[in-house]
Amino acid sequence: MFKFFSFTNSYLLIQKLIKFINSIFFLILLIGLTFALVLSPPDYLQGDAVRIMYVHVPSAWIGLACFSVITILSILNFIFKIKNFYFVNKSIAPIGLLFTCLAIITGSLWGQPTWGTWWAWDARLTSMLALMLFYIFYILTFKLLRKEELIIKVSSIIAIIGSINLPIIKYSVEWWTTLHQPASIKITGSNRIHSEMMLPLMVMLLVFLLYAALIFLMKYKTEIIRIKKKNIKRD
Amino acid sequence: MTSNFITMNGYGLFVWLSFGITFVTCLAVYFKTKKTLKKYEREFLAELQTLTLEEKNKVLEDSKVAQQILATSFKAN
Repeated sequence: MFKFFSFTNSYLLIQKLIKFINSIFFLILLIGLTFALVLSPPDYLQGDAVRIMYVHVPSAWIGLACFSVITILSILNFIFKIKNFYFVNKSIAPIGLLFTCLAIITGSLWGQPTWGTWWAWDARLTSMLALMLFYIFYILTFKLLRKEELIIKVSSIIAIIGSINLPIIKYSVEWWTTLHQPASIKITGSNRIHSEMMLPLMVMLLVFLLYAALIFLMKYKTEIIRIKKKNIKRD
Repeated sequence: MTSNFITMNGYGLFVWLSFGITFVTCLAVYFKTKKTLKKYEREFLAELQTLTLEEKNKVLEDSKVAQQILATSFKAN
């Protein structure tokens, strides 16, 4: 089953996927921006400031999703010793950090006009900051450590410890009284967001997902070339 | 209407800064990633050039990925 993850199988597929994403990306970005900045209505309470949601929410979701994937692959790598998962994680981590930082920055820019403050030490904001720190520590293991086995061990431990923070981020708005509003979109149950805002949000999420996939594929391809170059030197 | 679009009814600074920072950061990361990828492709090809013809053939025979890297790098250039 795990043969699928071999470099030989994945390299050509990566090439094709990069080409495909490049060909459709700008069209979807244009549609997303038109919906988010022009067609979507202002909120009855927040006015046009609500448009920040279209960059803030997808960023936060992708930041969380990347760390979830890193944790799952770290555990699988521990059990099945699939080295490719280590390279996948190494390629995903900078994307997760980027989107977590964007979520914090755009959240701060949204907070100022709606709450009257750039930052508050409330549970949701603080747990997102903790996620950013976990990403930084995780990436630093690749930069600072030299032995691959040690990197896998240390980075996996950071990922597993960091995963405790994920449910805290998700449920912080329910467990504590926070400045941050409760979740408006739920996988199970009714959404508290109008369809005229839901559609632009989903299109922008698609734009961000495509971008994240593109960066991941380019980074993973770089990793494959780096390893093959190393192998030439060894031979 | 154009004025409203720019000022966003008073929230323009926050809305445009959010979109601007996101756009510029993503663009910078994209170009940085692309540059690194191209650098490794070039280094891989240079490493291959240092080998003798026999060694080069052996590397290409043993590794399908090496063949693919070589083929796609030439296409891109």
